[in-house]
Amino acid sequence: MSNTPHAPAPVASEHIELKARNVSFGWEDTPLHWLPGDPFATHTINVLHLLLPAGERWFVHVYKQVLPYVKDEQLRADVVGFIGQEAMHAAAHDDVLPHLKRLGLDPTPYTAQVDWLFEKLLGDRTLPPGKARHWWLMERVALIAAIEHYTAFLGDWVLNADELDRRGADPVMLDLLRWHGAEEVEHRSVAFDLFMHVDGGYHRRARTWATAFTALVFLWQRGARFFMENDPELPAAKASLGQFFRAGRQGTLPSAGAMLKSIPTYLSRSYHPSQEGSTAQAVAYLASSPGANGGATA
Amino acid sequence: MSRALKLAAVAGAALLARRALRGRIARSPLWPLPALDTPVSGHSPRRWLPALITSRTEPADGVLMLTLESPELPPWAPGAHVDVQLPSGLVRQYSLCGDPADTGRYTIAIRLIEDGRGGSREAHAQLVEGAELPVRPPRNRFELVPSSSYVFVAGGIGITPVLPMLREATAAGADWTLLYGGRSRSSMPFTAELAAYGSRVTLVPEDEAGLPDLSALGATPPGTLVYCCGPAPLMNAVREAAPPTAAVHLERFTATTPTTATSRPFTVELHRSGRTIEVAAGETTLAAVRRELPDTPYSCEQGFCGTCQHRVLAGEVDHRDTLLTDQEREDSMLLCVSRAQDDHLVLDL
Ligand code: FES
Ligand SMILES: [Fe+2]
Ligand SMILES: [Fe+2]
Repeated sequence: MSNTPHAPAPVASEHIELKARNVSFGWEDTPLHWLPGDPFATHTINVLHLLLPAGERWFVHVYKQVLPYVKDEQLRADVVGFIGQEAMHAAAHDDVLPHLKRLGLDPTPYTAQVDWLFEKLLGDRTLPPGKARHWWLMERVALIAAIEHYTAFLGDWVLNADELDRRGADPVMLDLLRWHGAEEVEHRSVAFDLFMHVDGGYHRRARTWATAFTALVFLWQRGARFFMENDPELPAAKASLGQFFRAGRQGTLPSAGAMLKSIPTYLSRSYHPSQEGSTAQAVAYLASSPGANGGATA
Repeated sequence: MSRALKLAAVAGAALLARRALRGRIARSPLWPLPALDTPVSGHSPRRWLPALITSRTEPADGVLMLTLESPELPPWAPGAHVDVQLPSGLVRQYSLCGDPADTGRYTIAIRLIEDGRGGSREAHAQLVEGAELPVRPPRNRFELVPSSSYVFVAGGIGITPVLPMLREATAAGADWTLLYGGRSRSSMPFTAELAAYGSRVTLVPEDEAGLPDLSALGATPPGTLVYCCGPAPLMNAVREAAPPTAAVHLERFTATTPTTATSRPFTVELHRSGRTIEVAAGETTLAAVRRELPDTPYSCEQGFCGTCQHRVLAGEVDHRDTLLTDQEREDSMLLCVSRAQDDHLVLDL
C-alpha cells in the first residue's frame, strides 16, 4: 500500500542540540514602514506577526500532547527543544503587535480571528473524544510538519535576503526575522521527523500539505490586504498580486517561482527537511544576532 | 438581444457580489471566520507596558509615591495591583492608589523596607522622575463588591488599595468606616486626604495610641463587608475579631514571602501519577521530576521560555523567575528555577 511509512534519512549527521534562546528586542525606534519605501513588502512580511503568536502557541499546545507518543530519546529531546524555541518565537512576535498599535495600525481585528482559528477550530475539542480525537491529534501533527516546511523555507530566504540590507531595513526587525528564521532552519527536521515517527502516512502528508498551503495563501493575502487598507500613512493603498510578483523579482519577498518549486519538494517521497537550508549558516547567524545575545542595545 | 441582457445581468450580479464581499472583508478581515471574544494575541497578561514616571513625591516618612503615565495603561478598579519591573530586573507588586477615572495614569506608593529583599531600596534609590518603568496590565484579587456598608481596616502601606475604595464607596453613597493603623503619624501616608472624610476615619498611630482596637468588629452587622490590607498579624486579628459569618476580604501580598538564597531539599508529590520524589539541594525541581516523568517538557532551564510551567495543587512556591504574572504564580510554577517555600509541594503531574 502506498500509505506505508518509510522515513527518508537526513542527509548529513549535523545534529545539534536544540535550546530556546533568551531574546530581547526593543521596538521603540522601529518605524511603521521598516523597509523604507516598500510598504507592500513591509506589510506582507508583517503578516508573520499576525499569524505566528497564535500559530506557534498552538504548535506548543499540540506538541505537549504528543510527547507521550514519542518512543525515541533523541527525538524527544528534539521535540522538547522545539517546543521551547517556538514558545519564544510566539512571545517575541506577540511583542510587535502592541507596537503596531502604537503606530496607528491596530492588528486586533485580524488577530482575534486568528486566535479563534487556532484556539477553537484547530483546538482539542473539534472532534469527539476517543478514536476521532486521536486522529485529530495526528492530523494536527501532520499539519505542523507541513507548516514547518514553509517556516524553514522562509527562514532560509530571510537569512539570504541581502536585498533587505541594501534597502536599509530596520535592524531590530531584521534581527527578529533572522533570529527566528535561523532557529527555523536549525530545527527544520523536527516536525517532519516527529510526524514520521508517530504516523508517517503519505496520504496524510499530502492531504495536510494541501490544507496548510490553502490556509496559508488565504491568511496571507487577507493579512497583506488588511494591513495595506488600514495603514494610517497610506490612505488609498491596496495590496495586489502585481506588487507581490514585483517584490519577488526584486528580492524583497520570496519569489513566486521558488514558492512553486517548494511544493513538489515537500510532496516527494524521498523528501527530508535536512536536504534544504544550511544549519551552519543558521548557527553562525545565531551566534552574532544582537537580540539573541543579551538584547538589542548594541 | 436577450442573451446580451442575460450577460449584463450576470456581470452586474457578479459586480455587486464582489462589492459586498469587499465590504465584508473590510469589516471582518478573516471573514467568514469569527473572532475570539477576548483576544489573546497582542494582549498577553505577561506583556510589559512602557510607562513614564511623571512625578515622584514623599507623602510620608519612608514612603515614595510615583505617578506613571502612558496612553496604553488599561482601565482598572479599586483593589487592583500591578507588576512593576525595577531597573535590576526585580519584579514587585504594588497596589494602584490613584483615581480609576484618571485614564492613562497610575499612582503607586512604595514603603522603604530596610531589611527587605531589596526591591523597595532599589525603588527609592533609582526611580526618578522622567525614568521609564515597565508595568504589566493590572489585576484585581481584592475587588470591592457593591454593598451599602463597609468596614475598612488598613495597616501602614496597606492603605494603598483601600484609598480608591473609599472614594468609590463614598461616590456610591455607601456607609463606611476606616480604621487606619501605622507606626507613627509622620509615617502614615494620605492622612491629609483622609481628614476630609471626618469622623468616618480613625487614625491609630502606634506610638500615640498603641495597636488599633478591633473589638468593634465583633458587632459587624450582617451585610456589612469587611476589607483589610496590611501586615499578616493585622489581617489575622481582623479575621478573628469579625463574626464568623461576616464577609472578610483580605489583600495578601506575595511579597511577604522571603526568597531563600540557598536551595534546600524538599519533596514533591506528583498527584496524577501518585508518586513522591525527593528534590536534593543541588538539583532543580525539573531534574527531579524528569527522573520520574521523562515526558515533562522543558527547554531553556533558566526560567524564560515558560515551557516547564506546571500546575501546583498545594504548597507554597518560592518563585525565582520573572516570567510568570502573579496570577499565574498563584497556581503554577516554572519547574526549572522555582522551588518549594517550605518542604513540600503537590504538582498536577
Ligand atoms: S525550561 Fe524554560 S522556563 Fe523552565
Ligand atoms: Fe517558529
Ligand atoms: Fe518552527
